[in-house]
Order: sequence, then C-alpha cells, then structure tokens
Amino acid sequence: MDDGTPTITRRTVLAGAAALLPISAIQAAPKPPATALSASARATLDAVISRLIPNDELGPGALELGAGNYIDTQLAGYLAAEKTAFLNGLEVLEAHAHTTHAVSFAQLTAEQQDAILISIEDKNFPPVKPFFARLQRLTMEGTFGDPFYGGNRALAGWDLIRYPGVRLAVAPEDQKFDHAPAPSHRSAYAAASGEMNHGH
Amino acid sequence: MAINLRPVDVALIGLGAANGVAVLPLARAGLRIAALEAGAWMKPGDFKPDEIRNNVRHQVTTGRKVAGEIPTFRTSPDEIARPAAQYHNMMNAVGGTSIHYYANHWRFSPWDFRARSETIRRYGADALPAGTTLEDWPLTYEDLEPFYDITEYEIGVSGKAGNLKGAIDPAGNVFEGPRQREYPMPPLRSTDFTELVTAAARSVGFHAHMSPAAINTREYGGRPGCVYHGYCDTGGCHIGAKNSTAVSTIPAAMKTKNLTIFEYAHVTRIVTDAHDRASGVLYIRDGKEYFQPAKAVLLGSYAYENSRLLLLSKSKAFPTGLANRHGQVGRHFITHWASRDRVALFPRDLNLWYGAMGQAIMVNDWADDNFDHAGLGFIGGAGMQVSHEIHPIAAASMPTFGKTPRTWGSAWKHFVHENASRWTGVFIQCNTLPYENTWLDLDFEVKDPLGDPVCRITSGAKDNERRAAAFVAAKAEAWLRAAGAIEVITPPGAGAPPKLSNHAAGGTRMGDNPETNVVDRWGFAHEVPNLGIVGASVMGTHGARNPTGTVQALAWRTADRLVKNWNSIAG
Repeated sequence: MDDGTPTITRRTVLAGAAALLPISAIQAAPKPPATALSASARATLDAVISRLIPNDELGPGALELGAGNYIDTQLAGYLAAEKTAFLNGLEVLEAHAHTTHAVSFAQLTAEQQDAILISIEDKNFPPVKPFFARLQRLTMEGTFGDPFYGGNRALAGWDLIRYPGVRLAVAPEDQKFDHAPAPSHRSAYAAASGEMNHGH
Repeated sequence: MAINLRPVDVALIGLGAANGVAVLPLARAGLRIAALEAGAWMKPGDFKPDEIRNNVRHQVTTGRKVAGEIPTFRTSPDEIARPAAQYHNMMNAVGGTSIHYYANHWRFSPWDFRARSETIRRYGADALPAGTTLEDWPLTYEDLEPFYDITEYEIGVSGKAGNLKGAIDPAGNVFEGPRQREYPMPPLRSTDFTELVTAAARSVGFHAHMSPAAINTREYGGRPGCVYHGYCDTGGCHIGAKNSTAVSTIPAAMKTKNLTIFEYAHVTRIVTDAHDRASGVLYIRDGKEYFQPAKAVLLGSYAYENSRLLLLSKSKAFPTGLANRHGQVGRHFITHWASRDRVALFPRDLNLWYGAMGQAIMVNDWADDNFDHAGLGFIGGAGMQVSHEIHPIAAASMPTFGKTPRTWGSAWKHFVHENASRWTGVFIQCNTLPYENTWLDLDFEVKDPLGDPVCRITSGAKDNERRAAAFVAAKAEAWLRAAGAIEVITPPGAGAPPKLSNHAAGGTRMGDNPETNVVDRWGFAHEVPNLGIVGASVMGTHGARNPTGTVQALAWRTADRLVKNWNSIAG
C-alpha cells in the first residue's frame, strides 16, 4: 500500500474520540522571526561559520546556507536559555582578536581566523572550547537540518552531502546501492502538499 | 483535599508500551478501567520527517511531566549525582515509548531466564561475575512463550521464525527458543545493503537474519504496510505502520467501552488501606488533585518512575516506600550495556538514508550462551546489528577516519560530500546483569516541579559486560571488513563504562523470594497483593537485544493473571 493516510487518520480519530489533542508545537510563522544577536555579534558568528563550512568550489558554505540565521533566530526562540552563554563565547572570541591583532575577528584573514579556532580546539585558548563545540554543532544543525528552522537554504545543505531529501514513501529501488533517487528538495513541512520549498 | 472519583475496577498508572498492552485483556474481561496518562493522544500529523524535531530536540512527546523529572546520575556513592544530560527514552503520551522506539521486537533467549543456574551448571559457580545479584527469573521462556505469541499477534510483528516448534530455519534467528507459530507478517524488505551484510556475516561463519520488528510489512490490523521513509527512529509513524500501543491494543481496548483514558493526569502517590492493599491513586490534573479509588492498580510508567513512585508512596505501614519493607525497591537496576562500538567506512554509496531502524541485520552467534565461554572471563555476550535509516545531521557528523585533521574546513567539507553516504556501524547490545553497585533511589537535592525528589541513578563499573562488549566488538570488526569496509574504527566513548543506556530495567525485580524481589512471579507486589507492576522494571536481567517484546509479553501475562484470579487478587 502506497499511502494509508486516510485509513489511519479515520481510525485514529475514532480511537481517540473527542480526546484527541494536537500538540502542534511548531507553527509556521508568517512574520520574520526574532533574532538574538547584535550586528557585531552576528558578524563574528558569520565569520566563524564561514571557516567551519566554507564557501568553496563545492558550493555554498554555512553562511550562504543560512546557518547564521538558524543560530540567531533559534537563540531568540527554542534555544533562548543558552543565549547568554553563547554571547559570552562570541565576546571572548572578539576580545581575543582585538588583543592579538587589534581588529575584529571578522576582519582577520582566513588563515588568522583558522589559527584562532585551532588554538581553541587544541589548546582551549582562549578558553572557550565548549562554546566552540556548541557553535560547531549548531552550525551542523543550521546547515543540514530542515529549512523550516531558517537554515539549509534551497536544500543545498542536503545536496552537499548528497542526501536525497524528505519523501513520504520510498520505493525499493530508492534503497539500492549507488542509486539514490533524485533530490526531493522538500521541507518536512512542505512534503504533505508536495510543494517545493526553496528556503527563506 | 483531593476530589474523590467513582471507584473503578482497575487504575492504570501510565498507558504506554506496557500498560497499553495490559489494558486489552482487562478490557475484554469486562473490567472497568481508568487509565491515568501523563501525556495525551498524538495524531499522525504530529509525526514529521524532521531530524531536528525528532532526534535533536526529542519533541515527539506530549505533556511536561517527563521534563521535570530527569533522573540524576553518579557512578558511585562518593560522587554527587548530576542531572543526567543524556537523553532518556521516557515519554508522555498515550502509547508512550512504543510511539518513538525503533520497533525491533525481540523475544529474550531461553538462557536469559536461567542465566544463573545455566552458568553454574556449565562453567561452575566461580564463573558468576563478582558483585552480581543475579537470580534466575521465576519463569522460563516456555512459560512466557504463549504471551510472546499473543502480543506479537495483537500488536503486529513482522519477522521470520528461526525455530518453529523445534524446526530450525536459518532465514530467522536459529538461536531463539521454539515458537508455536510463524510471525504474523513476513520480515521488512531486504536491500542491497542488507544482502551485502548478510552474505558477509555468513562468509565469516556467523548466522544473520532480518530483525523482527513491530512494523507492518503489509496491511495488518486495519493499518498499512511500512513506506520506508526513514524517520522511524525517535519519531512516530505518520501512517500508523509502526505498531505502537496507541494504534493497536489501546484502540482495541477502547472498543469494549470499558476503558476511560485521563490525559495529562500526573500520578503523585499510590494509596494503601489498613490491610496493605492498594485502595487507589492520587493524581493531579489541571491543577486539581483527584483520588481514583480502584480494586486493583497496575503501575506501568518508565523504569525510573516505577521505583520512584513506590519510594514516594510512603505511609505508616510502609515508612520507606510502598512494597519496600525489604529494601528492594530500586535495587537490581540495570542500564543496558549497548553502544555502537565499531564504525566503518565503505568505498561506495551505501544509500542508508531511507528504510527503518528495524530494517536491520542481526547476528546472535556471540550472544547469550550461544558459544563456549570457557576461559573467556565473562558470561553472556551481545547481539550485533546494522541498520538502515540515517538522517542528514547525523550523517554529516560522521567520524573522519583520520582522513581529515579536523571536522571543519574545506578539506572536511569535501570529505563529507564524498562519504556521508558511505559509513555505518555495528550496534552491540550486551546481556546485562544486576549488580550490588547499581541501584535507584531518591535524590533529595533535586526536586520536580511538585517538590518531589527525582530519581537518582547509581551505576558503577561492570567488568563482565565490558569484557563481553570488547569480545563481541572484535567480531563486529571482522563482520564489517568481510562486507568490504576500507576503514574500521572504535568511535570515541565506545566501551567506556559506566554510562546510561536508553534501555533501563530492574528496580522492581520479579522473583519468588520476597526478601530479594519486589513482585512475585506474576508481577504483583509481594507486600501489596493487588498492586501489579509492568514494564522493564520487573526484569531481573537484560537480554542481548531490545526489551519491548519481553516487556509486553510480561504485561499481558500480569493482566491475564489478574483477570483469571480477580476474586482472590482484587475481590
């Protein structure tokens, strides 16, 4: 059976009777989502994520894919509890750039930026290694998560790792070696209607 | 003061994977049931193919009870227990954890039920691991078989019998105990990958077969077959092909009209009368406190919460917690020793994105007592499993096998572009025993929003399981290399004890001896005869595979016992 949705919907409604309570934790918001970062903090963030997943001959990087937008908006929403710690991390990074090079982190060369990030990762200096790990993790979420959350623009993050995308049903031939299906380029929240989602 | 409600025959605490099964024989027997569930109904639209929602944020749940009662964890009494950062499978919803589990649906091995006596018989008493509190289960595999059978048919399980009344078929698990019937549905479909790893296992002398799964492979119970879309893990099924109790046994029980479900009911205490009998349950709903009187109570929350609610339910007659006169509540706790101990890189696209975690190839040659342990220094072993279904963030977070110096930058970007579809790992699940250094109690330093202490987990080292896992991980590596892996590594954290698993068991162990066990062989508290306990908390050992099939068989058996002995237990 290809699509049992009508069957299961009817059955579950009967089973749940009047007790069915949708949780609908996530609602599509038509207005632009709130952001958490000042312009300068956002510039620092964007500079870091551009080094984590750079824009190169393979295609767009984390910045172009909207990972900065993902982090900025989620810190004003679902991840608000960690906003303060995250801002502190960015400030330490920025202060370190000023101390060592007398300019903003964003104004350093790529090589200088990499050297600082490597120092954090290998020597915990400046001492923000947990922040860096968290930033890296959130960059992964913003690059490879569903575009619904503000990143992975035009589904290009999934194209980067050759994930063929969200589908509501998958045929046997789509599970074969070396024969992944063509990219669906769909958000989970557009899949039901079959509508294409090219990001924000 | 609590608002008194009309008495019912049976009050169920929790309506999840365990009580969601127990409810069906009760309802069919005509008993009037009030099910008190901390969560609510979920519907197909709540289940999305969304890794952030399911796997990163664990939002496939309802209600807030679970968020306020995350246990604390320490590895010895010398430490201060910290809130366990690791995700726990606890879940609030009608159907509970059976909504978001992988649905690998196993029977335990006959050996699991008799591990103590079988070890002494074959290897001598010295082979029992130091510090274990292991007892034989008070029932055998054969005793439980009829209940495995009926729950597999009521829930809907797909698979291939490896031992049908003694007839062995290598297309299934040749090590399983005899079953009276074939599975109700054929196994999940095979793929290039499952065929590759099956052939590879056989080439190195292992048996391999598709995992049984509580997933429809054709229309069953009025619900469709699996569409293999790849978001089974920690998500719910958008078409109801995964057989949670919310789409199978609970709706069947509702048809009898004997079941009333109270959503968002947060049970706070079990109440007893002057005769050491449960008289009912206190719960809070919408800010009001209610007392639900009942002739019998079935406690069926998550393993941590089963022990916690008993410890919280103190009274003059039970000053250290309900059914705890022998200090056994919380003891014999088991966190399943289970992890992905070998990860491999392949030279081609494996295309594991889609399918289901249940679409897994299993090797059981190195589990249970399926091989000679003489001289190995451990008992038991582990089941090994490789699966379909990987999501994009997890895939891109792959280990780099030493091929790029960092997990960021342009070189790394090129690496994941090429390899995110080219890696997998072997999940190892050990037979895990109870030990003296591992228990649950209350943490008076950390309270839930109602002011009650949360559960505190103390779980120390397990040398037996560490040795078993290391032994089996070497077999996993041989398996992966036979399948053509070009790199095999031990990922960081593998085999590093002690850690918590998503499979929590024990704490209200089942056994004949009331001095060392909380519930009797039927699942009723030795000290409170009309209080039944269902869930993995009654298990005295954890088998080398996923627990839910055994949890559900035990739950049905406890409910069946209540129905058939209603007057003596609840009258």
